Amino acid sequence: MENQTFYYDNKIVKNFAYATLFWGVIGMVVGLLLALQFIWPALTFGIPYTTFGRIRPIHTNAVIFAFVGNGMFTGIYYSLQRLCKARMFNDLLSKINFWGWQLIIVFAALSFAFGMTTGKEYAELEWPIDILVAVIWIVFGWNMIGTIIKRRTQHIYVAIWFYIATFVTIAVLHVTNSLAIPVSLFKSYPIYAGVQDALVQWWYGHNAVAFFLTTPFLGLMYYFLPKAANRPIFSYRLSIVHFWALIFLYIWAGPHHLLYSALPNWAQSLGVVFSVMLIAPSWGGMVNGLLTLRGAWDRVREDPVLKFMVVAVTAYGMSTFEGPMMSTKTVNAISHFTDWTIGHAHIGALGWNGFLTFAVLYYLIPRIFQTKLFSVKIANLHFWIATLGIIFYAVPLYWGAITQASMWKEFTADGFLKYPNFLETVTQLKPMYAARAIGGAMYIVGIVLGVYNLILTIKAGKFLPDEAASAPALAKAEGKRGSGEGVHRWLERRPVQFTILALIAVLIGGIIEIVPLYLIKTNIPTIASVKPYTPLELQGRDIYVREGCYTCHSQQVRPFRSETERYGEYAKAGEYVYDHPFQWGSKRNGPDLSREGVVGGRQYRPNSWHYNHMENPQRLNEQSIMPVYKWLITDDLDISTTAKKIRVMQTLGVPYPEGFDKIANDDLMAQARGIADDLKSQGINVAPTKEIIAMIAYLQRLGKDVHAAGMPTAAVTAK
Amino acid sequence: MLRDVFNSIGGFESYGLISMIIFVAFFAMLILHTISLKKKDVETFGRMPLDDSSKESDKNQDS
Repeated sequence: MENQTFYYDNKIVKNFAYATLFWGVIGMVVGLLLALQFIWPALTFGIPYTTFGRIRPIHTNAVIFAFVGNGMFTGIYYSLQRLCKARMFNDLLSKINFWGWQLIIVFAALSFAFGMTTGKEYAELEWPIDILVAVIWIVFGWNMIGTIIKRRTQHIYVAIWFYIATFVTIAVLHVTNSLAIPVSLFKSYPIYAGVQDALVQWWYGHNAVAFFLTTPFLGLMYYFLPKAANRPIFSYRLSIVHFWALIFLYIWAGPHHLLYSALPNWAQSLGVVFSVMLIAPSWGGMVNGLLTLRGAWDRVREDPVLKFMVVAVTAYGMSTFEGPMMSTKTVNAISHFTDWTIGHAHIGALGWNGFLTFAVLYYLIPRIFQTKLFSVKIANLHFWIATLGIIFYAVPLYWGAITQASMWKEFTADGFLKYPNFLETVTQLKPMYAARAIGGAMYIVGIVLGVYNLILTIKAGKFLPDEAASAPALAKAEGKRGSGEGVHRWLERRPVQFTILALIAVLIGGIIEIVPLYLIKTNIPTIASVKPYTPLELQGRDIYVREGCYTCHSQQVRPFRSETERYGEYAKAGEYVYDHPFQWGSKRNGPDLSREGVVGGRQYRPNSWHYNHMENPQRLNEQSIMPVYKWLITDDLDISTTAKKIRVMQTLGVPYPEGFDKIANDDLMAQARGIADDLKSQGINVAPTKEIIAMIAYLQRLGKDVHAAGMPTAAVTAK
Repeated sequence: MLRDVFNSIGGFESYGLISMIIFVAFFAMLILHTISLKKKDVETFGRMPLDDSSKESDKNQDS
């Protein structure tokens, strides 16, 4: 066969590598600011754009989609071309992928700072940006599949299987979870409500971890680890089992984020079973990676690339053992809503994704700049500071999590909660939060050293934009299976069929979990006393979502005595049927709020307390870590959107009376005046048109309907 | 029609069991497939990352 000369496109690799470094620093500095706000809440500076609830999504999205996302594209664009022995399918598509992705990141950061959010974790982008994400993702997939089709190798290497699974699954997850009806350019309501929204969201959320933070990086591991160690992967057979088992099992595990919630038990059980089974393929992959270094461990001592890879793969093993453990109900009862989850997530993000990303950058930047790494010593220093940083970050959080969970659950000899004031359990954690911030700062120092080292490497080298390579043209293969060719061997050279089969494998779990929840009505028993929100409460709820209150407060009381004693009645599926989106939260930096409005309940506070608390939480309790929300008192509520919001809710099935949209603002103002009058009677003069009034209205509604039903069981009926 | 079918189904808790059976069967077939692969092929596939048809960018590296 004739030998063909062609050129690898290194420009796109370089662009993504630069973006990875830039967004890595930004995303982690924002994370450090968040960590410091736990110690000094005044670091929100009293302005809306830097409050915890708004910049927490900036941090998570910047690290996941900007730093890790660009790192993923860097590695994929480099390895895919070399594994296919072909230039990328289309340079223009590569450029659109790059600039489109950067544009999305900028839009995301700005929109979150301005409070434009869907209120769904890791899927906070509003609908116009969601559409842009879908378009750019298709461009990436088109370019990738096109490259695979024009490859010069018969076999498709296992790394590419992981890239294909990443593409198809993220496309399905993103589209399914983002379905919403727009109210305006910057506001929409998801088509799902309550329990169904929670299941779809965490099916997405968990699998974003699986298919954005795991599968593409496993692909990178299968390419870059053998390259750096200069030896083949330990077991190619194991990699085949690893791939299929992992993608089939991962998609089922989402409900483990909703244990002890109002989600039906059968769905919770499915999540637990499949999460525990996930240990097998995950550790299969880890073992395959580490055993690739058999006979090369002496090189790990010398080579920073291998050092970073070893810690990355080890962190993968740790977090994929810890994750299934946290998915068992026994451990979850302690770990959920605490900093354990944050520690677990950061072992994965800083250890697995962060270290593998830097291993890839340390590997490929010297090569595309035709030089050596500027300083191995600085790379080693980066490695050790960042490794210690991860330990200093995670250990205090684990310690704090167990401390706080124990305090939440502790009773006196007389049967009362020993720490009934939630704030006592937060104050106890402040030393751990300080240690966490030090660990995070160390990791950032490591990254700055890494960036410095790579900049000097780039300056010392000469960029090779188009790298010459040669390989024989690929003989046109028969579409049918050859004699003696197994089904999988045939699949391994048919990218389209392979993609379809991978899609089927991941869809099975999603369909079996999600569809019954919609079609079998007994899954969501309705509660007769649960009514739609009033227009003022609806506007207040949107402010609650805008400010990201769900990042610190849950709205889901678990069926434990320690929780029902602290908050009130445990959560029921039927009480959330009009919640578009659900706001259950996943972390309690403050108390649960779902029974906040029950007059005479354990969490009830008068309107004046809420006003004073929003204006200056530290004035009510100087130990409070809640940010100030002064602008809610000064800013006018935008009531021009009320009618449209009511109409969208009607479209979604919320039973507002016909024509209610036309009188919604009258209803809104009447309720607002009532709250303003009550505040006035307490010596607080505030106009009924201010945002604080809507926020108070919403908070005072929480839990009222369930209480009115005379819970626990009397009014729960199946449709 | 699909909605009616789903509404009339009882015991959907067994979906999980059925899915696990499907998975175990799939997993067993996969194991058999990997065992049946020719050793020579497996070694060739495993070495693919080591041959990227270009030594241009590697010439400054130690290994």
